[in-house]
Amino acid sequence: MIPGLGRALILLSLLLGTVGAMLAFATARRPSPASWAWTKRLAFAFSGGLVAANLLMVYALLAHDFSVGYVAQVGSRSLPVWVTVVSLWSSLEGSILFWGAILGVYVSVATWANRNRHPEYMPWAIGVWLACGAFFSFLLAGPAQPFATVQFPPADGPGPNPLLQNHILMAAHPPFLYLGFVGMTIPFGLASAALLAGRLGGAFLRPLRTWLLLPWIFQTLAIVLGGWWAYEVLGWGGYWAWDPVENASFLPWLTATAALHSAILTERKGILKGWTVTLVLATFLLTILGTFMTRSGVFNSVHSFTQSPIGPTILAFLTAALLWSVGLLAFRIDKLAPEGRIEDGKSREAMFLVNNLLLVLFTFTVLLGTVFPLLVEAVRGVQMSVGRPYFDRMAVPLGAALLFLMGVGPALPWGRATGAQVQKALLPPLLGAVVAAGLGLVLGVRNSWTALTLAFGGYTAQVTLGELWLPISQRLKRGTALAAALAEVTMGAGRRRFGSYVVHTGAMLVIVAIAVSSTMGISKEVSLKPGDQAQLGPYTLTFLKSENLTEPHRTAVVARIEVSRDGQQVAVMGPRMNQYERQREPVGTPDVKSFLFHDLYLSVMNISPDGQSLGLLALVNPMVGWIWGATGLMALGGLLTLVPQRRTAAAEAVR
Amino acid sequence: MRSMARLLLGALLLVPAGVAGQTPEALPLLSTETSDVARVVGPPRSQPLSGMALDAKTYQVGALLRCPVCQGLSVSDSPAGMAQNMKGQVRDLLAAGFDQEQILAYFERSYGEFVRLQPPLRGVNWLVWFGPLLGLLAGAAIVIGVLRKRASTVALEPEPGSELPGPDTLPDDPELRPYLLRVRELAYGWPGGASPEKEKA
Amino acid sequence: MNRKVLLVGLLLVVPLLGLLLANLGRDPRRVDSPMIGKPAPPFSLKPVAGGETVSLDALRGKTVVLNFWATWCAPCFEEHGELQRAARSLGPEVRFFGVVYEDEEERVRTFLKQQGSAYPSLLDDGGKIAIAYGVYGVPETYFISPQGVITSKYAQPLDEATIRRAVREAQAGTAGGAS
Repeated sequence: MIPGLGRALILLSLLLGTVGAMLAFATARRPSPASWAWTKRLAFAFSGGLVAANLLMVYALLAHDFSVGYVAQVGSRSLPVWVTVVSLWSSLEGSILFWGAILGVYVSVATWANRNRHPEYMPWAIGVWLACGAFFSFLLAGPAQPFATVQFPPADGPGPNPLLQNHILMAAHPPFLYLGFVGMTIPFGLASAALLAGRLGGAFLRPLRTWLLLPWIFQTLAIVLGGWWAYEVLGWGGYWAWDPVENASFLPWLTATAALHSAILTERKGILKGWTVTLVLATFLLTILGTFMTRSGVFNSVHSFTQSPIGPTILAFLTAALLWSVGLLAFRIDKLAPEGRIEDGKSREAMFLVNNLLLVLFTFTVLLGTVFPLLVEAVRGVQMSVGRPYFDRMAVPLGAALLFLMGVGPALPWGRATGAQVQKALLPPLLGAVVAAGLGLVLGVRNSWTALTLAFGGYTAQVTLGELWLPISQRLKRGTALAAALAEVTMGAGRRRFGSYVVHTGAMLVIVAIAVSSTMGISKEVSLKPGDQAQLGPYTLTFLKSENLTEPHRTAVVARIEVSRDGQQVAVMGPRMNQYERQREPVGTPDVKSFLFHDLYLSVMNISPDGQSLGLLALVNPMVGWIWGATGLMALGGLLTLVPQRRTAAAEAVR
Repeated sequence: MRSMARLLLGALLLVPAGVAGQTPEALPLLSTETSDVARVVGPPRSQPLSGMALDAKTYQVGALLRCPVCQGLSVSDSPAGMAQNMKGQVRDLLAAGFDQEQILAYFERSYGEFVRLQPPLRGVNWLVWFGPLLGLLAGAAIVIGVLRKRASTVALEPEPGSELPGPDTLPDDPELRPYLLRVRELAYGWPGGASPEKEKA
Repeated sequence: MNRKVLLVGLLLVVPLLGLLLANLGRDPRRVDSPMIGKPAPPFSLKPVAGGETVSLDALRGKTVVLNFWATWCAPCFEEHGELQRAARSLGPEVRFFGVVYEDEEERVRTFLKQQGSAYPSLLDDGGKIAIAYGVYGVPETYFISPQGVITSKYAQPLDEATIRRAVREAQAGTAGGAS
């Protein structure tokens, strides 16, 4: 019964999406209240169909209904409940279904939020959204069918890939990633609408900005959650390996960040309209490229469990979307005429251009490195790799430059600047630079790039903290009480600007933390028998014994390690090696103990079957926890900026 | 001297007929494996390492080698048995005095260019190393061009007869319309906000 | 229409799509072996059963079949019988050797005692020979000509017919293929 119902819901949403898209485009060309009303209804109905299909699948998973194809594939009775829920997105068909539901929710909310606004744009936008939605419904109806009927339902299923059961973060990373990736469809529709309508007015920038920022926040969190998961689960001590699929999630983030900055210039001065729209289109295209890379099997990646036969279909959609974007831009970009100009090369506006240059260059570099092995094979017939050492080399100067720009940009004034003004703005933060670099040298930094990054960090910190404090100090000078001033700046009228600088603060901390954690760590690989000790920096590690654990879905050998410092016991840690029934190679789980400024990271490299001989990897990773925390700060700042401000009392008075 | 070296190494060295390899002037106590390495990449070019320096350099070179059975991890980072063996081989070769490039070339012989995580400079590989730099130069040229063009148009005289700042169109958001009309009424004295000269509604 | 935008757009988009399309269907985990046609790396290894060291240069003039295997490898078990039969029937000019890959001596000894073996298996300490030959996993079998050149490599379980064919190619000294 469930498989049939599920298939019906999917076919319904395919139908509604297709008809809705056609009606939306017709409404855009020949508006009428009736067709507009029906367009919106179809959009809501389309969303409802996909969301319902998702809920049905979750129910089927929890009820262990093995007559449903997808449940038979990934369900299992011996799993904890959270793993059962998570298995919704653990494998191809379920993940596309999840994608569809999120798209449905986004389309509904975006339609409802703009139901009475921007009539020249919205039908175009809804048309584009429903066209994309129809494609995903088509995938679900055909190549990636989750509701296939199983003729003879098995009594139990194999469960999802063991790697995905290892850690609770697996529950968080994919949903956030989808909220980010899928969400980029909305600004894609809005940008397409601007091109189709032939204009991009100031008022329309509001929804464009909002609907770019919301998925951006999710994407930021998703990328870092992925890194955090890799760190806690994979056991090699790092958090980013420039795997093609990691790059796939990073590329749209870079262009979205560039678009957010470019949109500020469009809002302020009415310039770079075409460029902002191009960046928004590129962001969506990169998400489709990303999903192609993850699922097609063309790229050698850690995410190989998601490889599937739907590659060609996604490539077809990507081709269509690319040609649509290029065509639309070629034919309509000239309609988006600028309304202002950049006055001075030493102004903040000019720095926005530099920001875009660096971010687009970063995007180009990562994309080039990721697809390069394919190119070389086509040209030289040789298989080669472009791996972490290459990307690290390229990313370091780019990251450092962006960090520095975060300081220089906000320091410079808007509009025009004289040489004296520039000096007055750019020289004082050098103090912060010197202090930070000095602090680093004192604490043992010897790597020149890390020292430079610290210096830039200090520079930017001084500028950013100054900008955060500025509106508060202005209000204090006017006689406002401190509490009121803080409230107004952080939550009232000054919220958008404040939030932006909070994001910069977070970004600065992330870049500095990455630089420090990459070069200032200590690592040791030792062979230990029970009772043996090893010294790692200030820590003494003693291998106590190994324990065997049996859990319903795996067996494990845990190595108990006592950690002490200055003679005092700090903890007993337990990195482990897990053996899953379905896999030959065991999968290790490291144990990580986090302190304020560093992590102590222990990972089992190998352990003899009798548990008497342990190969241990021990690391001290400085500042890694700051990466996670500072990203949270970035998301918080984004949220502050996102929530729209009420029309002020003055605006009301004019009525 | 050559024939002496040959005699000494004869039992260990293999010189297949098809290969006119040079007999390396290597240390007489080379194992079979390292003499094979010497045959492929030449005699050790560097000083043998030991202790902490050896550990550090092993990690460094291992980070440039791809674990062939993993997905994208380097030999230094991977716990797989194959990677551990490769790391041991790297260590032995460093201890015998081979340098980084020789060791990478040795693994490349068995596994192909695929095993190097950092693309060596040959053929079209140049593109991945210089592409970003070219991108930077192109981008910088565009930005500078844009700034120059903008700055130069500032010098132009404003259009004669246009006293109104900015375009005289109504905003897209219908909610803002009454506000704008009211502002124009107050600011310019236009009744109802409509410009007396132009016919815009 | 903005020509510049169209041109730049197509210039970026078409090569990318072409590249992705061309690579569709390719298995990213398949890597071609660079060792075909190259001289076989020398080795000098001890047999599991004890006795004298076996070295490749002493085998010059004979066709050598080098099979990397392990007791934990199920496909190796499948091909074990085929290799034994081929070894017995191909005569003294063709020498078969197993090379143990990431396994324990005791387990190998037990396995060989139970399953029997027509040819010695050699111990590869530290996996050095596996590395020299470019082994990714097991089973992998290398066919070496009497002149000491690797003529073919198979990264899958073999059947007797394939073994015979590969041996013929090796004897002729023709560099065959990889798989």
